[in-house]
Amino acid sequence: MTLELVVRLAEIILGFAIFQQSLEFMRGLAAERILGLIRACLAILLMLGLQPLLVESALLMTALLFVTRYQGPYNGGSDTMTLLVLLCLWLSHLAPTRYWQEIALGYLALQLMLSYFQSGWVKVINTQWRSGAALQQVFALSAYPVSERVRLWAQRPQVLWVMSWGIIIFELIFPLALLNQTILIIALVIAALFHLANAWLFGLNRFFWIWPAAYPVIIWFQARIAEVF
Amino acid sequence: MIKLLFPILFPSWRFFSSIGPSPRIDVAFIAEKNAEPQAWLPFRSLPEQVGFAAGVRRLLHNPTWNERLYINTCAEHLFEGPSDFYAQEIGARLVNAVLNREMNVDGASQYLVFRIRAIEFDAGQVRDEVVFISQPFLLQAPGGK
Repeated sequence: MTLELVVRLAEIILGFAIFQQSLEFMRGLAAERILGLIRACLAILLMLGLQPLLVESALLMTALLFVTRYQGPYNGGSDTMTLLVLLCLWLSHLAPTRYWQEIALGYLALQLMLSYFQSGWVKVINTQWRSGAALQQVFALSAYPVSERVRLWAQRPQVLWVMSWGIIIFELIFPLALLNQTILIIALVIAALFHLANAWLFGLNRFFWIWPAAYPVIIWFQARIAEVF
Repeated sequence: MIKLLFPILFPSWRFFSSIGPSPRIDVAFIAEKNAEPQAWLPFRSLPEQVGFAAGVRRLLHNPTWNERLYINTCAEHLFEGPSDFYAQEIGARLVNAVLNREMNVDGASQYLVFRIRAIEFDAGQVRDEVVFISQPFLLQAPGGK
């Protein structure tokens, strides 16, 4: 994949993710509805590839308004990833040379890899995660399960122990997928299914749409690493 | 601004690194500003189950759930200490939900009060403790009479 194609694909997925978020904001309080409408229009322009630098500049400005308005992200990690993808794509357009363009996109690929690896690391050093108790508490007591039926999963400690270790191992070994493109694509499919499960069980739908926006970039990054080494 | 942007530019991806107390929001309606709440109702209690079609719909569009997550984030900030900003954020959204007829209110009720409970496992037992009770919020749209 060429760098230009990678940027275009990432912008299309990012545009869709921002459009999805914006439609939700348009059901919120008055100020959110206006900002949501503006961002929805910008997201359409981004998907169409019209004036990407200008559109991304405007999206960044509206994102800063949101961050100021909410004293941080509204939707935790998904807002962080949205802003990070947006910023890196914007920088890739601003970059004076191909080298700096690659630095901007490389940083995004690195953060995507860290988003899995660091999550796995903080879990594996936690005894509650290793025993399966942490996931059991997430299902039993946290505000995340989408229904009472999903809460009942807390009564299946053995299943949750297997799930806990499945998540930990996958997240920890994710960086190894950079060694081979086929393995990376398989890892990204598994990661997307993991986000789908989180959306289905815990209602984290925005994560499911925004994380894949960085996937074309990490696929390009892996090929670039393979080229260099 | 730098303080707000730094964790976004250099994020720490520590999802579910530890399981702390989980917030639950209850609301009560009162007729007068200084009245004592009589009955607390859970805000947006969970459905028994979410079917396949609803699950697909929620995957694409789920504003109330994401607002619920934001309210919980605000509540977690209030666990750490008093904050007028986060209390106002929660209050405004609860009032908006009532005005959108998510909850039934009798005609005599003029104000809404909310409380936050913290739920956590403690020594093998579930501990459920009220940690915050808000000031009354007038049940009217912003700028309304």
